Amino acid sequence: MTNTYLDLLAYFGIGGAHPGGFNLTKAILENENIQPNESVLDVGCGTGQTAAFLAEKYNCQVTAIDNHPIMVQKARQRFKKIKVPVMVLEEDVHNLDFVDSSFDLVIAESVIVFTDISRTLKELSRVLKSDGSLIMIEMTAEHYLSEEQQKLACSLYGIKEVLNTEEWILQLHQTGLTQVEIINTPPELIKSEINDINPSIQINMDLFDIWDKHNEFLLHNGDFISYRVFKCRK
Amino acid sequence: MNRSDLYNQCCRFNGQRVRITCHDGRVHVGEITRVNRNMVWIRPDENLGGYGLGFFGGYGESGFGFGIALGAIAGIALASAFFW
Repeated sequence: MTNTYLDLLAYFGIGGAHPGGFNLTKAILENENIQPNESVLDVGCGTGQTAAFLAEKYNCQVTAIDNHPIMVQKARQRFKKIKVPVMVLEEDVHNLDFVDSSFDLVIAESVIVFTDISRTLKELSRVLKSDGSLIMIEMTAEHYLSEEQQKLACSLYGIKEVLNTEEWILQLHQTGLTQVEIINTPPELIKSEINDINPSIQINMDLFDIWDKHNEFLLHNGDFISYRVFKCRK
Repeated sequence: MNRSDLYNQCCRFNGQRVRITCHDGRVHVGEITRVNRNMVWIRPDENLGGYGLGFFGGYGESGFGFGIALGAIAGIALASAFFW
């Protein structure tokens, strides 16, 4: 399945491309007591910034997956360049190639919203150990969205729906992730400095148009759509 | 990116804070103040006092910042952004 918004992130090779950026990632991980013997799965790793940080800072066993071949290639490049032992695989999150209960921590930074949400949560719950945690940063409706706003968001970002907080929690509960905590984050959509970037040599001009449309969308709908950080356990 | 795409892109980003990466690996961050077919001018975030980077005629005086030849540019993108 092609998604031009994700192509934008892949071809520009933008690291930390999720709400809160890499600073939020570091703040969240600081509160996790990650041990060197633990196995961590970074779902939708993008160009691998978080996965590399996990491996370097916590020395844990990191597996990074993405379904976008360019992301996987750029992540692999990064790990090789800085010599961190991260296993990187091109995987479909709806149908993972890992046995049940493989990971102590699964982290998904603005990834699940771009997938079939219930299938993905089921699959992530399957590979999570019984005492493991899933941390996810996801687009969330802040207020009621008109049909027009939903449609616009879905076509621009290639998603199926924008869930509100309660709907996310319901989905998580239905998957067996019954302990759900919402981590406090600033409500505004704060811009992050794009200082981790690995652009492809050829970037289709259409992607600049998508970037414009995305900015336009935020300008008009930024009060309606925000994000939440969920920490979930079985 | 070819020269004409790059020119169009610079025009589109006029007035915005961008990050320009040059073929020699140098990175410049600042607001685009002026664009023509050969050059793009940016006013950098930190004014370094009128020397050092003032090799294109000195920035600060013109108010346009300093110029970068389009031919030297490998890539351009907005300097900060919000992404899902």
